[in-house]
Amino acid sequence: MSKIVDLKGSILSLTVLNLFSDQIDETKKAIAAKIEQAPDFFVGIPIVLEPQITLKDPTFLALLVEYLTQLQMIPIGIRTEDEAIKEQAEYAGLAIFPREKLKNRPKRTKNEPEEGLKTALMVKNSVRSGQQIYAKDRDLIVMGSINPGAEVVADGHVHVFGKVMGKVFAGSSGDTQAKIFAKQLNPELVCIAGMYQLSEDIDESFKNGFIEISLNDGKLVFNPGLLD
Amino acid sequence: MSRVIVVTSGKGGVGKTTTSASISAGLALKGYKVAVIDFDVGLRNLDLIMGCERRVVYDFVNVVQGEATLNQALIRDKRTKNLYILAASQTRDKDALTQEGVGKVIDDLKEDGFDFIICDSPAGIEKGAQLALYFADEAIVVTNPEVSSVRDSDRILGILQAKSKRAEGGDEPIIEHLVLTRYNPSRVETGEMLSVEDVTDLLNIKLLGVIPESEQVLNASNSGQPVILDEDSDAAHAYMDVVDRFLGEEKEHRFLIAEKKGLFKKIFGK
Ligand SMILES: Nc1ncnc2c1ncn2[C@@H]1O[C@H](COP(=O)(O)OP(=O)(O)OP(=O)(O)O)[C@@H](O)[C@H]1O
Ligand SMILES: [Mg+2]
Repeated sequence: MSKIVDLKGSILSLTVLNLFSDQIDETKKAIAAKIEQAPDFFVGIPIVLEPQITLKDPTFLALLVEYLTQLQMIPIGIRTEDEAIKEQAEYAGLAIFPREKLKNRPKRTKNEPEEGLKTALMVKNSVRSGQQIYAKDRDLIVMGSINPGAEVVADGHVHVFGKVMGKVFAGSSGDTQAKIFAKQLNPELVCIAGMYQLSEDIDESFKNGFIEISLNDGKLVFNPGLLD
Repeated sequence: MSRVIVVTSGKGGVGKTTTSASISAGLALKGYKVAVIDFDVGLRNLDLIMGCERRVVYDFVNVVQGEATLNQALIRDKRTKNLYILAASQTRDKDALTQEGVGKVIDDLKEDGFDFIICDSPAGIEKGAQLALYFADEAIVVTNPEVSSVRDSDRILGILQAKSKRAEGGDEPIIEHLVLTRYNPSRVETGEMLSVEDVTDLLNIKLLGVIPESEQVLNASNSGQPVILDEDSDAAHAYMDVVDRFLGEEKEHRFLIAEKKGLFKKIFGK
């Protein structure tokens, strides 16, 4: 039988689920079989989908996301250039990651000048529900808040001068030295270089006032003391 | 100079049409020439709330499709001078509106000397809502004091920043205002509803006003008149304040605190 799915580490240090079939049932079965080998490993991991085929069934992604969520995985995004898949992804609530290799020159986007110094990407307002910001190869500074349902991703550090109530990913291409700084933290998820923590796993005492999050020995460390 | 104002919310049934009708009437009472457009194609009800449903001959879709002129379709309000309604179609589907066609109607209204063009948006964040906000100079975001409504308003604010004509052209961004409606201070006190501060903290835009939950709203819409004209109701006063603040007046916010129940009310209920 040909390969149905396989799992590999990615440049984002997020787990990538490669899809080789556009049949939802057989894909679900193959995933279930994978998980049986190491059930604990998959609970709560952020997953990025990478279809290697075109997805003709318009409900495929939504069904897959639902299934992964049932299995307690956290599907966060998709890597694709296919416009039809991107549209599906939007309905399924998935972030779209650019598909180019890490070594390639970063693609120019509205926010990023092509030439010159790669200073931090600066967002002057709050990032609102449904919005995603990606600071490729650089830091991200958000002057407002990360509202619930919003998501920010940076390859470098993330600084938030308002409240973090959505999802934050720092060091998303694997930089374990990346940090997250926030004026106040009550996030849906924080993640550095693939290590993440959900709100309920974060001690309440870290949810008042300034906080610095870093990665130490594969663990997220919360440090509130920096300002005094 | 004409201003185009979208009344939008994301979530459905929060009070967009009620707010559009009252603000339009309020601005017209102040002497401005106002057109209010129902973008909710297929579900028209602005004309019901304005009490002109029996006078709709041509609608917004007819104009956009070139089947009628703007002058044929604009319905003059019977109570308030300077107020005109452009009804939605009940029989067409929502793809009948095109961006080009809507742009032309708005340009024509500007040319006709309308001071304010109020766009009553359909619910949702899809095409219909995006079309209603596309040409806006200002937005009035209508929110109820509950989590899902606030979340949707946050979402629509993101879309205002990204998908409007102003955003695409790199012009000055749309000016954003918040109207918090169906506010019930005693339910806020018991923690059943979000408080004004909870909502403004998250959305972080300027609060135009708080409209209390009021039975008068339903009575007014059943009798086909914008609630702002019902001088006995708190909702009318609250909407009048909204209009004043919209026109730049500083006014203290009211209707934020629960009215203490007197002994009489305690004994006999409400
Ligand atoms: N302040 C208020 N107090 C009590 N009821 C209200 C208030 N505002 C609106 N309502 C009621 O809420 C219902 C929905 O109002 P309305 O039609 O204005 O909402 P909408 O946002 O336009 O809805 P849709 O998304 O369907 O277009 C109506 O029954 C209306 O009478
Ligand atoms: Mg409505």
